[in-house]
Amino acid sequence: MTLLSLLSLQKDFGKMRAVNGVSLDIAENEFFALLGASGSGKTTLLRMLAGFELPSAGQILLDGRDIAQTPPNKRPVNLMFQSYALFPHMSVAKNIAYGLEMEKLPKSEITSRVGEILETIQLSALANRKPDQLSGGQRQRVALARALVKRPRLLLLDEPLGALDKKLRGEMQLELKRIQADFGITFIVVTHDQEEALVMADRIAILKDGALLQVGTPHDIYEHPTSRFAADFIGVMNFFPVHCDGGALRTGKGTLIRATIPDGLTGAAVAAVRPERLRLEVTGCDNILTGRVMALAYHGLDLLLHVETPLAPQPVTIRLTADQAEAHALSPGDPVTLGWSARDTRVFAA
Amino acid sequence: MRDRRPLFLMTPALAWLTAFMVVPCLLILALAFFRRGLYGGIDYTLTWENIALVFDPLYAGIFLKSAWIAGLSALIAVILGYAAAYAIAAMPRRHQPLLLFFAVLPFWSNYLVRTYAWIVLLNREGLIVHLARLLGFEGELPRMLYTETAVVIGLVYNYLPFVILACYAPLSRLNPEVTEASRDLGASPWTTFRRVVLPMTVPGIATGFTFVFVLSIGNFVTPALLGGGQFQMIGNLVYAQFLTANDWPFGAALSIFLIAIMMGLLTLQTFASEKASGGRNA
Repeated sequence: MTLLSLLSLQKDFGKMRAVNGVSLDIAENEFFALLGASGSGKTTLLRMLAGFELPSAGQILLDGRDIAQTPPNKRPVNLMFQSYALFPHMSVAKNIAYGLEMEKLPKSEITSRVGEILETIQLSALANRKPDQLSGGQRQRVALARALVKRPRLLLLDEPLGALDKKLRGEMQLELKRIQADFGITFIVVTHDQEEALVMADRIAILKDGALLQVGTPHDIYEHPTSRFAADFIGVMNFFPVHCDGGALRTGKGTLIRATIPDGLTGAAVAAVRPERLRLEVTGCDNILTGRVMALAYHGLDLLLHVETPLAPQPVTIRLTADQAEAHALSPGDPVTLGWSARDTRVFAA
Repeated sequence: MRDRRPLFLMTPALAWLTAFMVVPCLLILALAFFRRGLYGGIDYTLTWENIALVFDPLYAGIFLKSAWIAGLSALIAVILGYAAAYAIAAMPRRHQPLLLFFAVLPFWSNYLVRTYAWIVLLNREGLIVHLARLLGFEGELPRMLYTETAVVIGLVYNYLPFVILACYAPLSRLNPEVTEASRDLGASPWTTFRRVVLPMTVPGIATGFTFVFVLSIGNFVTPALLGGGQFQMIGNLVYAQFLTANDWPFGAALSIFLIAIMMGLLTLQTFASEKASGGRNA
């Protein structure tokens, strides 16, 4: 069931259009990610949902009711701020109780709900601490609890893991997903970290220059990007400049590249393939190309091989598992032959 | 090993303060326990008389009156100053330095000139009276100059810039996301102010209040000029003991109590801001 509908949402700051005609449906219980670089309009969009910015045009329907003009304190929507924005003069328990006190709930209910959520985030022992006596990870969980305890229809999270170190971020990605499922609340996460979006979200929207570029499941977005920008923005992608003529793709040197060509595409184009789809065993590959190893980047679990080829201005990246890397024992300067199938090739207008 | 060089850098300032502040204070303290000489000199016999005289209803009354005027001035200055600081902090960042500059500008002109200016304004034939006539007010205006009100107006006016600066500091440091968080959690703008903004800016208010109170309670220029001869504050009393009555021991005894009140307040204020700033960053 649709919980939130954005209809042609637009926001102008003076002459600058920060959000440009965004229309989007988000289902109940969905974990949704708004992914974009800084300046893409994702934060402005989130602030309109929270009520801190009024749209210049368009509607925000929550459960079918337009809330675009409703002040933030009257919306069943809560926001977890990027800076966490905890009240420094209140204890952890007081911070969490604040939103419930605003609802004028009886004291006993507030106490029990605060106690309950402190259990959930495993911070019961620190209930009387002040925010500045907590670690970054603990503060993050208090901020989450403070928003969650209100049981909003919609929880917005602004770069929720941005301030955490890498290891903790990995743990919290799973933790956030578990909490979202347990509470059954719709989450909208704003992030610039594509890996975070891929891991956590049920669906992702890529924003560019204030407009939606593509909306889909992580698998869709990763495997079937609909634009060159999306292909480049998510993960690593190898691009080959090509020319599309009469249903065939040729590189500048005349090499034929086999791929499914989108309808109506002619002229300058790019063929794209993911590093993990490239192979060193080229028997049965539709596309084959030779080059020279430029550099090896060891990542423990896998190894990225950067190969200089005549077909692309940038080195081509190929991803090998530890086993494959050992079997081939390549070093910089070695000649290599790479292959991939037509099925794994994406083609975009240049 | 701790570096001792900073100590060396502090020495000149410390020496200056010791010679011209600590030593005179100790002398005043000692003076309070001697007897006044017959012709205004000092008779070096120990006595409690001066201290006891401070508690005489006449003088205790002046203390209370001074505290009342200083407290009232501080309260008014804090209300006006906090509101101004709040407005400045809410302006676009790039305009704030200029607005602060204007708020503090009067402070750089001479204290006496500023106080005399109020005489011109509040005078029986002053600007305010003329303005009232111009606006068609016929009747007799109540007397303004040489009243308690005039003294309070003068004190508030003089120390307002300090309060604006003291309140502006914590207000401008406030993370806007913290007030937004309060709104997001269901609080109205007023509740947000009462429960989040105000508690987080108490150190500024305490500093501003203490400042105005301490400077007002010992002030003798403003009460002398704007209060006329009508009433005295402790500052005037001390001034009179030393310079007209020639009763240095009693003047010293009054001073000690004045200093004690100021020190007590400043200590309290320091503790209060220390406690409040315990958790500044969230």
